[in-house]
Amino acid sequence: MTEPLLPAWSEPFAGEGSGLLRSVRVDAIGREWAWGGSTGAGVTVAIIDSGLERQHQALHGRVVESVAVEMLDGEPKVVPDDAGDLFGHGTACGGIILGLAPDVELVSVRVLGADLRGKGAAFLAGLEWAVERGVQVANLSLSSKSAALFPAFHEVVDQAYFRGTALVSAANNVTGASYPSLFASVFSVAAHAVADPWRIYYNPAPPVEFGAWGVDVPIAWKDGGSTVATGNSFAAPHIAGLVALIVSKHPGLSPFELKAVLAAVADNPRS
Amino acid sequence: MASDHDELTAAFHLLREAARRSAVARQLQGDVEQALLRSIVEATATLFDAEAASIAIFEREPDRLEFRVAAGAQGAAAVGLSVPPSQGIVGYVFSTGQALALSDVLADPRFDRRTAERTGYVPRSIAAVPLIDGQHPVGVLQVLDKRGSATFSLRDMELLGAFAAQAAAAINATRVQRDTSRLLREVFRELGDVELDEAAVESLVSAATADLDRDEEAPFWRLVDQVSQLNGMTDRELTLVSDILEVVGRHATRPGRRG
Repeated sequence: MTEPLLPAWSEPFAGEGSGLLRSVRVDAIGREWAWGGSTGAGVTVAIIDSGLERQHQALHGRVVESVAVEMLDGEPKVVPDDAGDLFGHGTACGGIILGLAPDVELVSVRVLGADLRGKGAAFLAGLEWAVERGVQVANLSLSSKSAALFPAFHEVVDQAYFRGTALVSAANNVTGASYPSLFASVFSVAAHAVADPWRIYYNPAPPVEFGAWGVDVPIAWKDGGSTVATGNSFAAPHIAGLVALIVSKHPGLSPFELKAVLAAVADNPRS
Repeated sequence: MASDHDELTAAFHLLREAARRSAVARQLQGDVEQALLRSIVEATATLFDAEAASIAIFEREPDRLEFRVAAGAQGAAAVGLSVPPSQGIVGYVFSTGQALALSDVLADPRFDRRTAERTGYVPRSIAAVPLIDGQHPVGVLQVLDKRGSATFSLRDMELLGAFAAQAAAAINATRVQRDTSRLLREVFRELGDVELDEAAVESLVSAATADLDRDEEAPFWRLVDQVSQLNGMTDRELTLVSDILEVVGRHATRPGRRG
């Protein structure tokens, strides 16, 4: 068997999840139990991305802190940030999360910028900072392919797992490994095309474990704007938002318990 | 000591051989990268039935994404333009390695309208995927305005990813050629000035020759060797060979007159 040219992570979620039939009964937990009545209050979500536009109406004043990673003499340093959102992407993710969990608090960890073009070290430092800060959920719409950073990413992702921080990571449709999106303990997410922010799928054939809406998603964008976007990076914040709702209602659930709850309430067809 | 010296000399000759081959290959093949990338954007534009498709490659000093090739009715004007990697949709895709598509780009205030206007074409939708060479992003493939649809589907994104993988492979293949000659120049300079121990020379040799085609029987390498042997010829002899090749070349492009 030859390797496919590219991982088609969204493939299992096509056609309303018809290929995801589950016979294992894990649906004793329902959505009402999972997040009924929850607004995400008391939960802090880190957006590790291009920054957040605090004044954007989609973020309705929920940004409580903004930091950026700067590279000083080759060493990453986390500093307070007032640059807003350089691309609009972080704001888009924040908006999606608040659309599901309107009362979460958002922390912006900007790891992209003029001097940071996709530097794995900056991304790693931002992730470490977020875990140290004790956020309950972090949304990661980027990942690194640097093999040299594998051990460091592995360490911080384990640290997050043991501390109970849910790392929600957009799957990356490129060949080869990417960190941390394909680590076992993160919530790895690819896009499905059903226009429903509440529709999620559990994929029993990892590495990508969850499917959420990521096609033609109306999103907030830079300079108070909005647009329509497609990509796995818009699917991930839907899962992050749902995780925030569950954590808000059931504080103390560990990442594997949160995954089990998501799998239980997923829209997979049941036999 | 004599054998050390012999081995160094042998290594030196091997490196010279590699450098010669690399230089001649570059000379003979022309700008392969450009040709391959152009064929990829042309295929992309055709398959997507898009107004334009283009590839931007990352270049340093200053850091920028330079549009190298384009296809489609609205593509041509983008060639030669550069955008900073910290800006725009193309910059985001390059910086994060995340593929994405935006529609109603016109309504998106963050869309880099100035760049679009310089090309004389402002798109309504854009899909962009990163070109990843091994562990590193090297550029971005983008498609503007699919004619049949206002937005891009998951299938579109996956297809575009497959084209991007091809483009990255093309860039990688030609970069090996460029890097080889750069490495060899370094090595020659070092060998001339300082003494290297055997292991260092050995590792340099293997690094320099690892990616070279060793198939001596391949017609291409036979031709390279033959052409490279012309080095010692006089100008008059070279002109003669050049005339002969020109006739052969003309013949090859006019199949109707063959025979």
